[in-house]
This record gives sequence, structure tokens and C-alpha cells, in this order.
Amino acid sequence: MKEAIGLTIPKVCGMGLHFELDGFRLIYLAVAVLMWSVSGVFSLEYMAHYKKKGQYYLFFWATFFATAGVFLSADFYTTFIFFEIMSFTSYVWVAFDEKKESLRAAQTYLAVAVIGGMVMLMGMFLLYDLCGTLRFDELKTAAGEILSGSKRVRLYAAGGLLLFGFGAKAGCFPLHIWLPKAHPVAPAPASALLSGILTKTGIFGIIVVSFGLFGADRAWGFFIACLGLITMFLGALLALFSVNLKRTLACSSVSQIGFILTGIGMGCLLQAAGEDNSLAVRGAFLHMVNHSLFKLVLFLCAAAVYMNLHELELNKIRGFGRKKPALMFCFLMGAFGISGMPLWSGYISKTLLHESIVEYAQAIQGLKMAGTAIPGILGNPVFWHGAEWVFLISGGMTAAYMLKLFIALFVERGLDYQNGAYMKMTSGAVLTAAAAVILLFGMTPHRFMDRMADMAQEFFGKTGHAHIIHYFSAGNLKGGAISLGIGAVLYVFFVRRWMMKEGQYVDRWPSWLDLENLLYRPVLQVALPGICGAVCGFVDRYLVSSLVTVFLTVSAVLCRGMDQMADGIIRAARFSTHSQIPRAGGMKEKRGKRTGALGKWNVSLARTKERIQRNGRMVEESFSFGLMLFAIGLCLTLGYLLLVFWMQAKYT
Amino acid sequence: MYEGNENICLLLPVAVPIAAGALILLAKGIRKNRKTLLALVLGTLFLEAALVAQALYVGGTLNLWQMTDSICLAFGVDGVSWLFAGLTAGMWLLVGIYSVSYMKHEQREYSFFGFYLIVLGVLIGLDFSKNLITMYVFYELMTLTSLPLVLHEQTKEAVTAGLKYLFYSVAGAFLALFGIFVLIRICGNQTFTPGGVIRCLEDGTMVCILRSSIGTERIGQGLFLGAMLCILIGFGAKAGMFPLHGWLPTAHPAAPAPASAVLSGVITKSGVLAILRVVYFVAGPQALRGTWVQQVWILLTLATVFMGSMLAYKEPVLKKRLAYSTVSQVSYVLFGLSVLKEQAFMGAMSHIVFHSLIKNALFLCAGTVIVMTGKTRVEDLKGLGVKMPLFLSCYTVVSLALIGIPPTSGFVSKWYLATGALASGTGTFTWLGPAVLLVSALLTAGYLLPLTIQGFFPGEDYKEHAKSEPSAWMMGPILLLTAGALLLGCFPGRLLAMVEKIAASTLL
Repeated sequence: MKEAIGLTIPKVCGMGLHFELDGFRLIYLAVAVLMWSVSGVFSLEYMAHYKKKGQYYLFFWATFFATAGVFLSADFYTTFIFFEIMSFTSYVWVAFDEKKESLRAAQTYLAVAVIGGMVMLMGMFLLYDLCGTLRFDELKTAAGEILSGSKRVRLYAAGGLLLFGFGAKAGCFPLHIWLPKAHPVAPAPASALLSGILTKTGIFGIIVVSFGLFGADRAWGFFIACLGLITMFLGALLALFSVNLKRTLACSSVSQIGFILTGIGMGCLLQAAGEDNSLAVRGAFLHMVNHSLFKLVLFLCAAAVYMNLHELELNKIRGFGRKKPALMFCFLMGAFGISGMPLWSGYISKTLLHESIVEYAQAIQGLKMAGTAIPGILGNPVFWHGAEWVFLISGGMTAAYMLKLFIALFVERGLDYQNGAYMKMTSGAVLTAAAAVILLFGMTPHRFMDRMADMAQEFFGKTGHAHIIHYFSAGNLKGGAISLGIGAVLYVFFVRRWMMKEGQYVDRWPSWLDLENLLYRPVLQVALPGICGAVCGFVDRYLVSSLVTVFLTVSAVLCRGMDQMADGIIRAARFSTHSQIPRAGGMKEKRGKRTGALGKWNVSLARTKERIQRNGRMVEESFSFGLMLFAIGLCLTLGYLLLVFWMQAKYT
Repeated sequence: MYEGNENICLLLPVAVPIAAGALILLAKGIRKNRKTLLALVLGTLFLEAALVAQALYVGGTLNLWQMTDSICLAFGVDGVSWLFAGLTAGMWLLVGIYSVSYMKHEQREYSFFGFYLIVLGVLIGLDFSKNLITMYVFYELMTLTSLPLVLHEQTKEAVTAGLKYLFYSVAGAFLALFGIFVLIRICGNQTFTPGGVIRCLEDGTMVCILRSSIGTERIGQGLFLGAMLCILIGFGAKAGMFPLHGWLPTAHPAAPAPASAVLSGVITKSGVLAILRVVYFVAGPQALRGTWVQQVWILLTLATVFMGSMLAYKEPVLKKRLAYSTVSQVSYVLFGLSVLKEQAFMGAMSHIVFHSLIKNALFLCAGTVIVMTGKTRVEDLKGLGVKMPLFLSCYTVVSLALIGIPPTSGFVSKWYLATGALASGTGTFTWLGPAVLLVSALLTAGYLLPLTIQGFFPGEDYKEHAKSEPSAWMMGPILLLTAGALLLGCFPGRLLAMVEKIAASTLL
């Protein structure tokens, strides 16, 4: 591959944008263009009857540019900007149908996108603080230094937060919840893109974090590989249980993302063990590309079904594909590819991934022989044999659920459908062309797939050519055969026996077992806002006002006390000295008696007398009051003088 | 006391709107004809924008009134004045244009417009203030003159809200006044100096580094810090900082939409300005860095950020929701100031501009919704985007900007705030601060986006609200503000360079 082309736009959006075009990005840009143009052509037919077509196409192409921006970005800042734009523009796809379930799914999608975005941003803050840069090329050296230093825990925290954000978009367990909800309700060409390429933007980020920051870190590789294994198995299990065409495909996406993650994890682990990690890296990359193609084809097949029947339940669409060879061809290409059938492209990438696990198990043995065994579960060959079997069983489940879909759609007899044109020529042509690519890639792995891997591996930090792998050797074919065998067994004994009742597909998954409804929604929608809201509301409403009330009451009591203090003291003093002064209450009684006894003149005389008496009393009272005050003042002055004299006497 | 070129031009932007406002309030002839009234108002606003631009361009100082040796009122222009005065004049113009259409539905337009203009003059005075006393005078004037805007509708609710506004503002201002007394004892009525003039000596006393100023006195660090806390909480009342944030959610829904827009978008920022002046231009960041007051301050701002968002999330009435949002967002700015770090300072200063644009746009949107549909609760507004797609798109863009989704402006300021906080070395707050900002952003998405979602994707059962888009008088300002919020996010270079210059001079 030639030198990568870089582009820097300084100052835009604060920190400037950095783009780069290298082999990996070139291929993924090509994949994006292919996917958008195929599903764009298909949309012409699919969306023909919708009212808000303009809105759809606006966000359709806006998402394209945002996605291209993510893949071309050369620093996390740029990645994040386009990542967020992409999340919000693709939201419109999910909510587009405006049905109840699509609005609910859209809510989930948005919540995951926003929460994931914010967590990712936190990771970026930490990373920027640690390394002082967010450019992929500069991060590698900076992160290497930190990993060997004392701040490695913070780097793990930053990486974990970034992984959360990207993993949420990729559909990695336990953040896969949006995929099975959002894919079935979005318009099918949009689901193809959501599943085929939007999830890959998450993978893109995880690749950068894994190989750019933690290239040779054992713990990180182990963590990613475990996540990958769990996601792979769980997604396949969900898909096997599902009885809805698009939901099955969505769960299948979760599972395939697990395969890719496993490859990334193995890549880190192999590098950490000092081995050549090209198998894992190339497997992960090729599986990314393959999965994009598979899901494009499969979702567009589902679109063809939905366009005609407006149904996706397996029981209601069974037999739709009979006597429709073009549709069957396309579906078969996708199904064979994704199940890892030899001669189809999925086989190539799955073989590489499988080999990488085997290689690591061998590497551990080798290290053990050399006396530098890796401690813990990581170094236990039994664990890695288990991992290999999880891998094979997940592959088997993939085959089983694809078989289930195929038989339901193309073999079983269902309702009678008229055998007219079910798809326009143009739609059919682009779909068939896309499907043919899968076969072409699978038949000639060295011509196309190896070369693509050569171009892309630089992005994973690998250089040079890998040794030629004999994909169709007996050992490799054996792995594929085991997987397919497991698939056949699972289908016969599990799907046909247990999951079908009176010829109908039954959803055997317990309906309460839904991570979103069981955990996320109760916690995020009810518990947290409830508790925090109550606390905040209490603080907001009662803190200031109760403080003010308490302050006012206390100060009112205090001030009343202070107001009455001097008065009260004097009164108390006067009662102690002038105990003969009548209390205020006594006067009224006397006045009443006198006015009753005397006549008019006497009344006025009495009043005058009384006034004089009262005035006299008042003068007397106030005079004594004044005297009292004067006395108190005098006492204080004397006391002060004494104090001063005493002080002077003391200090001289 | 001041050297430099005396420039009488600085008085004009303060005096002209006050005179025009007084004319509208007093001259009965003008208010009879709506067209004359509006022509006068809009003319004054445009003239004011030109005058402010001219004053900022020419610069200089103006010694307004030498009351005593130590007390004088003086104007001057520096980088901070640039930012605030430019912002104030611009916002006032746009909201004024919007009011032309909005106030048609209200009683006693003349009284609204009269006080609207007077507040503008006072605010420009506040932005031009050159020392503590001038600033305090205009700060109090601002409270008093903006009160009629809250009281405008004269309903019982409005009067209660107005009194609450008055009580909180005055209580806050007096609290701050105590602190100002202490500061003045240390450094006199010091001209605002970037980087502050007060330093802590080794024996734990605070002292003014400029010998020439009047009233240099040593004061213990405890008293100084207590005074600073009083100032922070007191001026924080205007900025809606916990614990004195209570007036915002009461006053905003009661006031007419243009008034709440400027209250929230600009007047809350004057609280920020006051804090900024005291902390960065009088006391100085060095005097506060690492003290318990800084810790308390950060804690208060973070508590406010979270609390405001949480309460907005729980609030069903749109305008009240936006008011709580303001409580939270202005504390983003205060948080940026409180960590005393260059990057965070830049984030805070740019967030002042961004939040002003965004919040004005949002309140104008809320006002438009009230005018067009008569509804105030968010859940009644299903299907709003069916007939008003442009309007709701504007709302969506500014909402995304407030959440901080790139490439809108909110993201830029959040980036600087968070990276600054991480590099600030304030212990737990280095990571807690950014985390709280992000949780708050999440809640922001939770309280703003439902309107968009229900508006564009109403599902089946909804009532049609309006026949068409709002009038051009309403849409124009909203569109301009939206464009500003978006474009400043994409191309913040000039603005960032400007705030960087201020940051470099204040954070030595």
C-alpha cells in the first residue's frame, strides 16, 4: 500500500479535523459506497409508497456522509464529531414508521446512542488529559509510555469508557439491546445499513482503541476476547429463538460482531504473547467486510418480503420464497456466507478467526514449555479449548438459524401468494449483483480477500505480507464441517422438535428475560430520576424557603427578646424597689366605680382629677424610669472607671 | 485616578437607550400609535448596536463621576466588556425584533418596551464598568429596572414571581456588598486589573500588591475567604447558582417570552460577569486557588448543574423546564470559572456566548409555541413539526447545541470546560466535574428532545396545532440565533482566539 493521504482542517469545531486515507479506510469507504448505493437503489422501490420520502432521503445521505467521516477520521475528536452526527441522523430511520413499537425502539436507540456518546466523550477527556493528543498516530507512543508507567489504571479507565461508547454502537454485550429492537422496525434498506455498516463504526473505534492504545496488552486483549465470546454466543442464541425474520437477522448481527471482537481480542493477545497476530487481524477485518455484505443482502431479501406482505413473522411469511429463484439465490448466498460454508466468503474469515484461537492455545503450550507460563485463566489451555468450542457452537447456531429462515421462507408451504413481479428489475439486479460478490470472494480468496487484508492490516499496526494460508486444507475444512454439523444437529433436534408446535414457530424465549425491560429501563427511567429528582426537588423547594423561615422565626424571637430586654430589666428592678406601684390592671376598676357614684359635674371633675393623677403618675413613672436608667448608666460608668484603674494599676 | 484617553463615546450607549426608554414611558403621544412606538424601539436598538460597536472599537476610558476621593464611577473597555457588551446589544436587537410580533398579544406594550430599553442601557453600563463600585451601582439598577419586565402581566402569579425575583436579587446583592466592603478595605476602589491585585502573604494575611491605591490594609485570610464566599453566593443569585437559584423557575414562566429570553440569556450572565470581575480582576485567581472557598464554589456549581438538569427533566411546563435548564447551564459557566484554569476559563467564556444564543432561541421558541398553540405543557405538543417543520428544526438544532452534540457550539465549550477541569489539579473534582457535565448533558437530551421527537414523529393520534409556520418577525430572529449556535460551533476560531487572549491576561 502506498503512503496514506492525510488531510487536516485546523480550527474547525474547536480542535480541528484530521482525516486520513489508508488501505483500511479505502476499503471501508468502498464498502460504504457500495452499501449505500445498493440500498439506495432498493429504497426507490421500497419507499415509493411512503409520504415523507424527502425526509428519508435527506437523512439517508446525511448518514452516509457522517459514516464516511467516521471511517476517514484520524483522531478521536473527528471520530466523535461524525459519530454523533451519524447517531442522530440514523435515529430518523428507526423512528420513521411512527408506529408504537418503532417509537419505543427509537427511544432505546437514542438512549443508547446518547449515553454511549457521553461515556465515550468522558473517555476522550481522560485520554486527552493523559496523552495530550487524540491523533491515532501520536497516541500509540504516548499510550505505550503510560502503560509502562504509574498511570496505567487511568489509561484503562479511558479505554474502558471509549470501549463502552463504541461497543454500544457495535452492539457488544451488554449494550446490544438496541439492535433486536431497532432493526425490525426500521425500513429494511435502512436496517441493512444499520446492521451492515453503522455497527462497524463501533468496531472501527474498538480497533483503534485496542491496537492503537493497548496493542500488546494481555489483560485488555483477554477482556475484549471474552466480550466477543459472550456476545457471539448470546447473539446466536437470541437469533435461534427469534421467530421474526428481521429480528433474527438483527440478533445474528450481534453474534457476528462477537466474532469480530473475538478476532480483535485474539490479535491483542497474540501480540502480547510475542506471536505473529496476522491471522487474527486479517480474520477480524475480513469478517467485518463479509458481515457488511451478508447483512446487506439478507436485509434486502427481508425488504423484498416486507414490501409484498407487510409482515415479518415467520409463521405469516412462510413459503413466500417458493418459485422465486432470484430471491432464493440471493438469500442462499447470504445464508451460506454467514454460516461459513466453504466456497463462500464467510468461510474464509471464520477459518482465520478459528485458527487464531488455535494458534494462541498452541502459543500458550509453547510458553509453558519454555518455562514462562502465563499465570491465571489466561494461560490455561483448557479455557482456550473451551473458547474454541464456543466459537464452533456459535458458528453452528448461525447455520441453524439461517437454515430455519431458509426452510421457513423457501421450502415450507404457507399461504398462497400470487407469483407475479415481487420486485422491480433494478432492485433485483443490484441485489443479485451484491449477492454474487459473496460467492466471488469465497471462490477466489487469494485474489480478493488476501489482497484486501494486505491493504488493511497496516491499520492494525501490521506490516509485511503474511504467509499464504491454505484455506481449503483438510484441517481448516474440518473446523467448518464441525460447525455446520453442529448446525444441522441443532436444527433437527432443537428447532424442529422443541421450537415448533403444530407446524407453527413458537417463541420459546421467556418474555421477561429482556435486559432492557428487566434492568435498563427500570433503573434509568424510573429509579434514578425518581430518587435524584426527589432529592433535587426537595432541596430546590424546601432548602432555601425553610432556611428563610427558620431564620425569620429565630430572629423574630430573638429581636422580640432584645426589644423587651431593657424594658423588662427595668420593670423587674422597679418592682423590686417600688413594690407599692399598682399594676396597670388595677386602674380600670377604680375608674368604673367613681363614674358610677358621682353626677355630671362630678364626672368631669373626677376626669380632671384622674387626668392629673394619671399625668402625675406618668411623670413619676418616667422620672423614676429616667433615674433608673441614669443609675444604671452611672453604675456602668463607675464599673468601667474601676476597671480602667484596676487595669492601669495592674500594668504599671 | 485614571490615565489614558477619556472617551465620551462610552456614555452614549448607556444614556441613549435609557433616554429612549424614559421617553416611551413618559410621553403619552408616542404610545398611542403602535407604528411610531415600534419605529422608535427598533431604531433605538439598531442605533444602540452601532453605538456599542463604535464604543468598543474606539475603546478608552471615561471618568464619569468622582464622588469622593475613593468612590468614583468610571467606564472602560477591555476584552470582557467586548464580549459582554457585544453579546448584550446583539441579543437585545434580535429579541427586540421578535417582540414586535410577540407583544402584539400583550397589554401595555409601551411599558414593556420602555423598561426593555432602559435595562439595555443599564446592562451596557454594567459591562463597561471599570471598578467595583460602578459595577455594584449598575448591578442594583439592573435588578430594579428589570423587575417591571417580570411584573409585566400583572397577574397574581407575575407579582409573586416579581417579588421573589426582587427578594433573591437584593438579598444576593447585599450579601455581595459585604464582601465588597472587605475587598475595598484591602485594595480600595481598584480599577479592574487582569489577574487581580490581592495576594496572600506568607503570614496568612491578604494584601494589595499595588501600593498606590487607597485603602491598602492587611486582612486575615479567613475574613478574605469568607468575604469571597459571600460575593460568590451573592452574585451567584443572579446567575442562578444554588442555593439562591429559586427565582429563575418562578420568574421565567410568569414573564412574557422575550423578557424571559433576555432574563435567561443575558441577565443571568451579568451575575457571571460580576463574579468574573471580582474573582479574576480584583481578587485574582492566585488568591483563591486551592483554598476551601474554591472547593465550596466548585461543589456548589456542580450541585447546581446536576440539580437544574434533573429538575428540568422532571418538569412538564416548557418554559419552566427551560428555566431550570438555565439554572444548570449557567453553572456550567461558573464551574469553568471556578476551577481557575486557562482552558476551563476559555470554555466558560465561550459557553457564555453559546448559551446566550441557545437559550434565547429556546425561549423564543417557547414563546412562539404559546402564541401559535396556546399550550404550555410539553406533552400537549405532539405533532408540532407536521405543520411547522422549519420552526421545529430550529428548536432541534439549538437543543442539540445545548446538549453539546458536535458540530454545534455547545460541544466546543464543553470540550474546553472538561479538559480544563481535568488539567486543573483540584483533586476529586478533576474527574467528577466532567462526569457531572456529561450526566447533565444526558439529562439535557432527556428534557429537550421529547418535544422534537413527539413533534416530528407523533404517531397516529394527535391534534393539529397550527396552520403554518410562524410569521417572519418571529422566525427571523430564531433562525439567526440557530445559525449562530450552529456556525459558531463549526468555526469557533475567532471567538476562541479572543477568549484565549482574555484568559492569558487574567490567568498569569
